[in-house]
Amino acid sequence: MNEEQVKLLLVDDEASLREPLAEYLSRQGFAVTQAADASKARAVLIDEVPDLVLLDIMMPGEDGLSLCRHLIESRNLPVIFLTAKAESTDRIVGLEIGADDYVVKPFEPRELVARIRSVLRRAGKGAPAAETQSEAHYEFDGWQLDPLKRRLTDPEGTIVPISSAEFRLLVALLDHPQQVMDRDRLLDLVQGREAHLFDRAVDNQVSRLRRKIEEDSRDPKLIQTVWGGGYRLACEVRRAVPESD
Amino acid sequence: MRRSLPKSLLGQMLLAVALALLVAQALSVILLYRAEQNRIEGALVNDLAFQLVADRRANGTGSAQTADPRGRMMRPERGRRDEGRRGPRRMRLERALESPLVQGEMRDAERETALQAVLERQDVQIAELVVLSRQISQDPYIIQRLEQNPRFLARRGWDPDGELIIAGLKRPGDENWTIARAPRPPRTRGALAGVIIQTLILYVVLVGGLAFLLRRLTQPLAQLTKRVEGFGGTLGSEPPIEPSGPDDARRLITAHNAMEARIAALLDEKNVMLGAIGHDLKTPLAALRVRIESVEDEDERARMAATIEDITTSLDDILSLARVGRPTDPLERTDLSALVASVVEEYEDMGENVTLGDTARVALPLRATWLRRALRNLVGNALRYGEQARVALVREGDEAVIRIADRGPGIPKAQIAAMMEPFARGDTSRNRETGGAGLGLTLARAIAEQHGGTLVLTNRIGEDGSVAGLLSELRLPIT
Repeated sequence: MNEEQVKLLLVDDEASLREPLAEYLSRQGFAVTQAADASKARAVLIDEVPDLVLLDIMMPGEDGLSLCRHLIESRNLPVIFLTAKAESTDRIVGLEIGADDYVVKPFEPRELVARIRSVLRRAGKGAPAAETQSEAHYEFDGWQLDPLKRRLTDPEGTIVPISSAEFRLLVALLDHPQQVMDRDRLLDLVQGREAHLFDRAVDNQVSRLRRKIEEDSRDPKLIQTVWGGGYRLACEVRRAVPESD
Repeated sequence: MRRSLPKSLLGQMLLAVALALLVAQALSVILLYRAEQNRIEGALVNDLAFQLVADRRANGTGSAQTADPRGRMMRPERGRRDEGRRGPRRMRLERALESPLVQGEMRDAERETALQAVLERQDVQIAELVVLSRQISQDPYIIQRLEQNPRFLARRGWDPDGELIIAGLKRPGDENWTIARAPRPPRTRGALAGVIIQTLILYVVLVGGLAFLLRRLTQPLAQLTKRVEGFGGTLGSEPPIEPSGPDDARRLITAHNAMEARIAALLDEKNVMLGAIGHDLKTPLAALRVRIESVEDEDERARMAATIEDITTSLDDILSLARVGRPTDPLERTDLSALVASVVEEYEDMGENVTLGDTARVALPLRATWLRRALRNLVGNALRYGEQARVALVREGDEAVIRIADRGPGIPKAQIAAMMEPFARGDTSRNRETGGAGLGLTLARAIAEQHGGTLVLTNRIGEDGSVAGLLSELRLPIT
């Protein structure tokens, strides 16, 4: 019922996409306002404040990135990017500016709705403080995790690729060092948009993660199994915002 | 032999010049030697002739001898005084009844001819003429003189082991032989040493100078070669080469820089254009994807969604292929084993039949997004055509080898190369059932090459000799 009131602002210069998408989102129960470019979007923002903004990056005139900066800095609004570019550098730029998520065109409308809900849920929990925290790197036992780029580097500086499920599991553990995390709690914390992949088995993900970060995955030192309990990250974790790179 | 020849311009040029110089110097040494030889011979023969001619006068055997038959006066004879004063070289003539030629000795025909010619020019009548050589210490006349004066040889500075040229002349009507002796001067080493020193100086000046000049040419050339070799990877990211060296090299470098700039501009233009195409196609596709959500029939909608996804995949492949030679992301040192594992895990999570075999821990500089894409294409192919994929990572020498084996029908040997060409697909029917634009292998190969590696496809032969499946090997150099 709450969703009746969820107001979305959809900014995209392509009417052929904007209009059917607005229609679709309305059918999903959102109140959608449309804007064809950045200046119209700014005009709309004077009258009403949406709960979330869907923003195309490539637009004539002021582009989406610049508008996004304004939305986040002065309004602190959640933003999801719609981008036609699949190159990772573009995504990272968007996320670095502070966008909450992005979808690559052509996207599945249902997935977009799922992401809108997920972003709203996070924003609704009132986590602007966490937002500023999200840039800070995790440091543990010589390892580094950049949460924005989802980049894990070992003590020698070598990048160790991990899946998004492993990333969320690792973040959940890093956020609660030295604590025993039972499987249900972990599942709860790592429910992301790929949750259906994750709930196959926490144990499975843990063993995969161990293979990548433990010296000997059969004798784990970092992620320890607690009998009858779950898992525990057995090292210190520091968080630090990196010098701008 | 061939291997020891220099391959570079500098080496070959220096070798050619050195050889030419060697030949020229050798020729001049030979000429010099022969001229010297002729001079010595001439002096020797003249000396002998002079002794023999002078003898007639000195001995005063007849008034007719003061003037020759033509009435020309012979040069005033210095006679005996000579021996003491004019040189230690000349010695007193011997007069003997016997020819100086002892049995077993060879006549020196060459000198005889030369001496005869000289004597004839002096209008000397010759009945018999003998020239021969023997060792100074072996000559009976010398031995005899030595008995009279042990310092006989030393005073003249003659070497007892030296060669003595003996000329015997018998005039018509004279029953005595007149025998003259002259030592053959020892070989002069000074001349040869001079030539060698001269050659060395020439070598240093010419070869050194040439090396300096050539270096001015070959250094910019080497720089240019290095640049062209690394062209694909560094294009546009490095400042142009500073033109240096002689004018020819400068012009070449300037022309190369201009060409590089043109190519970079073309490639940039291509990227901008592809980006625009991608954007312009993806937006309507996105609109279409939204619109089909209103289709009531669920099967119909699923089919439409699948078609759109196919188009998107092909579009992505085409765009990637166009960009693969000019990646924008940097190489980053990455744990390859973790990367391989994460790709395999993606497929595992989708419930696909993928197994991860041995993985060696290998870290190397790579572009993870690209390499992941190559692996996905190869694993995807294995699943599509070969039911299952077994993935392994091994280290072979200085290469990291990612092996993906399937249990499909393989590829006929003749078609393997063609399979990696764009838009080729295993089944010739080109039906879309099997999916993809046929760019998967092309892209995988291009990505391997982007990393300096190769993609090798081979058929796996089972124990019964038939094809057991296809083996794709992505080989990356470990640096």
